[in-house]
Amino acid sequence: MGSLVKMKNITKKFPGVTALDNISFDIEPGEVHVLLGENGAGKSTLMKILSGVYRPTSGKITVNEKEYDYLTPKDSYENGISIIYQELSVINELSIMENIFVGKIPVKTIMGIRVIDYPTMRQKASEALLKVGLIRDMNVFVENISISEKQQLEIAKALVSNAEIIVMDEPTTSLTISETEHLFKIIKQLKSEGKGIVYISHKMKEIKEIGDRVTVLKDGTYVGTRKVDEVEIDELVTMMVGRTIHGTYHNKNISDFKNEPVILEVKNISKKDGKVKNVSFKTHKGEILGFAGLVGSGRTELMDTIFGSGPKSYGEVFLNGRKLDIKNPYNSIKYGLAMVTENRRETGFMDNFDIKQNISVISNLKKSKAGGTIGLLDDKGEVEKAQIQVKDLRVKCTSIHQNITELSGGNQQKVILGKWMGVGTEFIIFDEPTKGIDVGSKSEIYELMRRLAEDGKGVIVVSSELPELLSVCDTICVFKDGKIIDTFDIKNVTEEKIVSASTGESGKVKEVN
Amino acid sequence: MESESKKLRRGSLKEVSFREMWQKYGTVGILAVLVIALAILKPASIFSATSISQILTQSSVNILLAVGEFFAILIAGIDLSVGSIAALTGMLTAKLMVGGVPPLTAIFLGILIGAALGFVNGFLVNKTGLHPFIITLGTQAIYRGITLITSGARSVFGFPISFTKGISSSIFGVPVPVIIAISVAVILTFFTKKTVAGRNIYAIGGNKDAAWYSGINVKLHTMMVFIISGICAGIAGIVLIGRVGAAEPGAATGFETYAIAAAIIGGTSFFGGKGKVFGVVIGGLIIGIINYGMTALTVPSSYQQIVMGGLIILSVTLDRFIATKK
Repeated sequence: MGSLVKMKNITKKFPGVTALDNISFDIEPGEVHVLLGENGAGKSTLMKILSGVYRPTSGKITVNEKEYDYLTPKDSYENGISIIYQELSVINELSIMENIFVGKIPVKTIMGIRVIDYPTMRQKASEALLKVGLIRDMNVFVENISISEKQQLEIAKALVSNAEIIVMDEPTTSLTISETEHLFKIIKQLKSEGKGIVYISHKMKEIKEIGDRVTVLKDGTYVGTRKVDEVEIDELVTMMVGRTIHGTYHNKNISDFKNEPVILEVKNISKKDGKVKNVSFKTHKGEILGFAGLVGSGRTELMDTIFGSGPKSYGEVFLNGRKLDIKNPYNSIKYGLAMVTENRRETGFMDNFDIKQNISVISNLKKSKAGGTIGLLDDKGEVEKAQIQVKDLRVKCTSIHQNITELSGGNQQKVILGKWMGVGTEFIIFDEPTKGIDVGSKSEIYELMRRLAEDGKGVIVVSSELPELLSVCDTICVFKDGKIIDTFDIKNVTEEKIVSASTGESGKVKEVN
Repeated sequence: MESESKKLRRGSLKEVSFREMWQKYGTVGILAVLVIALAILKPASIFSATSISQILTQSSVNILLAVGEFFAILIAGIDLSVGSIAALTGMLTAKLMVGGVPPLTAIFLGILIGAALGFVNGFLVNKTGLHPFIITLGTQAIYRGITLITSGARSVFGFPISFTKGISSSIFGVPVPVIIAISVAVILTFFTKKTVAGRNIYAIGGNKDAAWYSGINVKLHTMMVFIISGICAGIAGIVLIGRVGAAEPGAATGFETYAIAAAIIGGTSFFGGKGKVFGVVIGGLIIGIINYGMTALTVPSSYQQIVMGGLIILSVTLDRFIATKK
């Protein structure tokens, strides 16, 4: 029996970046094919080509013995390809049953009028829900069900649309151990029915447990495909990260920060909505402090509170021993705080500004008075500053007058960093600083962080990428449910320790790496 | 193969420069085309000092309103109350003068009133968090109502001669309303190009959240924008009563439409963050010349509305088309 889908020599280029370089991938009936790779390896891009979101620059896709240059979303759907994204796409405002039939409501004709066929809907929905083990009243609104139930719902949705190939993008990220086990049961059943499953993950333990074959991608290139039974986890890790160990950026001179001067001290910070609960910590001279934790654990809210960009809260913040009175980002910037936000496009840069104007935002604000309203621009100074930063940070651009939207993600991020440099920044928070950034820019940003720390600036890094935290930070705090639940020294921490602390399942997770 | 890629590149280069040309000179080009068209159709109507000063004078009130409106649109908002602010300011200034307040003092107070009305707009926008469209739609009606109440729905006239004379006189052959409009435009150009606050307003228009994270006080600048718009509308209202010689309770009704049109035709992006004061002035002149030209060509005024409406849609579509074509 042939493959359900064959993707051959797929290349996808975006302006300035080759996201996928000559990748081949296939799915056979009744198998779980694991797609493995670090963030930015190209897993999601490859799957988006399969679902018809992107068109490949070159390459062929064969589905149901038909060859395509690219699939449209319609082709993909009609060929039984169904993707369950990490950020689930169920609609909270609809019931479970309605969600299953979004966009494909069964109809029947009564006296020439087409009406919704509720009996068929109920019957098909209950069949599918039974299969995935989601036993609930079908009229319950989806906003009232748990994340794992939403995931089951997504699978039921795929089954109803006769999916032959189901892609699951990191499905266990926000599941507990028992929920994960339940998901694996469902996957095994789907397998036995001859469906092909693409399972995207970077949890080694899961791969061994559920996978049949594994394909590894690295920086948009194909590394190899192995049978899960015949491969050791060590080999997979080497395949996945092997060629780009970016080195480590730890402080090499100091091993114990307790005796170093304190730069930033946070005392008993709480938020009214309970997303941050009574948090206290210190950062020391020369130290990079990392924050790990699941998305939604309250890390970003904590940073927003310190920086003054979030709603009012309780607690005290001291910078170099001085108590800060922060009401908004304007105050905190005047005190010398800086924040590189998680989402460049939404909160990082002005898309109507060129590089120079984006870089000058902070320096202009700093020299102005009355809340930034009184002050004159200094054209010459702006140009000079922009040129210095572009050169220092090695921003690839045609000139400082180029619009920032024309740059690649890494260079955009460098411009954003540039606006905080040379303006008296004393303390800087990086929230997911290398999201969607090429490897080269990544290591340059890590180097910059270390330089800042060595210059005596306070540095905090919030990241969901554990390898990033492990290679950059000197101390790592694990955040969960609005609290720091554990703090690790870099010398005695592993990825597994952080994961078990942040999911609260210590003891249950075996050491596998 | 190679030559083909070269050709392609040259083609795209050409297109880029055309795009830039359009963005820089598009509105001036439209103005030039209109002037030439009028010169061909009716030479006598345009080639005289009086006709030129007439076009400029007629456009000055709209330009004053439009350069204020420009800032409201620049932060991706809008100010629908500029016509009503002009009417109320004009009415109160008229009342003051008729009541014996010296013209210069009355003018100064009038401008303060315009600023205060703008402040109310900004205050409501900031406090409620509603879109400026809603707030200024409301204040448009409220300010008009106050105008009717304070005037008893009657026109006010009988201003000191020094005031009406002053407004309708010329300095070195340039009518005073034109001088006022140009001065305001020059000050605002300086403001947008050379001050931190001006740059911050562009930043807010481009990305409000990023501006907030960069320490820009969004509410403070929003307030500033509506005060500027109020001041400009106030000045427009004072010029208007000077030119007409009376303050009418229904004055400047619907003028916000022309102000918005001038800003848009002048290249201001409705999504915020893009535009120039100079472009808005040209936009105001384009509307002025269409009205003047069509009157000169004895086209009924109802048709003038259709032409202006068509021009708004055409100029924005063209702008869009050229900007997105790559």
